[in-house]
Amino acid sequence: MVDVGGLLVLGIILVILLPFLLLALIGMLWTVAYPLMLCWAVLFSGKKLDQQIASTASREASLRESLGRDPLTTIDGGYRTDITSCGVVWSGVVFGPSHWHLLIGWINNLTGGSVDIFQKVVSAGRAEAMQRLREKALAEGYEDVINVRIDTSDMTPQGARKSIKAVEIFAYGTGVKYT
Amino acid sequence: MEQMVQGILVVNTETIPGMMITETLGVVSGSTVRAKHLGKDIFAGLKNIVGGELSQYTELLQESREEAVGRMVADAMSRGANAVVNVRFATSAITAGAAELFAYGTAVKAE
Repeated sequence: MVDVGGLLVLGIILVILLPFLLLALIGMLWTVAYPLMLCWAVLFSGKKLDQQIASTASREASLRESLGRDPLTTIDGGYRTDITSCGVVWSGVVFGPSHWHLLIGWINNLTGGSVDIFQKVVSAGRAEAMQRLREKALAEGYEDVINVRIDTSDMTPQGARKSIKAVEIFAYGTGVKYT
Repeated sequence: MEQMVQGILVVNTETIPGMMITETLGVVSGSTVRAKHLGKDIFAGLKNIVGGELSQYTELLQESREEAVGRMVADAMSRGANAVVNVRFATSAITAGAAELFAYGTAVKAE
């Protein structure tokens, strides 16, 4: 009887402690993983960003070449009157600079002027969002996207210092089909 | 598309190409706050160190937006509309890993 009661108490204590143990484990993993990931970022994140930009640009170029035009326009209502069906299409990309890029940006910020690294990161994300909008609209059977709007919103809440640093680029418009 | 299946046409232009708006039924809106589970948050945090796209959050916002638009469409249906025009989206980050998505537009009857 004593044995069973003891086990029960031990079990309850373990269950109560489990979340804390898990948190400690995650903390330990983080301490080990962070320097490794940062090293990787210092060495390769610039290259990765360049690859991302190049891949988006090549997809955009091949799509433009196959269509002969850019399907996106910001004109409200379009420029053609033979529209037969329409519907909203959107795409979003959450894109962030690496911690190495944050450091470069911080140093750049001290000297002032244009912070080119952040401009590069955000426009890479924007190009990707727009390219996905084109692909999505074509996949849903639309020929053009009119009244395209592009929003940029911060994923980092105000005042939160220890959180992810990223922006969400959201592109939306009305997909249209012609006769 | 999902919105078309429910019989409601959703566009972000002020008019519907090829249709006449006969009646406006007011502003309809839908909003949602969603979050991913801790594991995905941690993974996104790790991925943020090396930069680039955070696909967990891209997915999260995509799902949330579908839900918000679904609620907006339900609102429009309850008013007896057959289309929602001039749809706008707004996003705000409440805490790290939870985003509020808001979609609004004007419910109309169109022929």
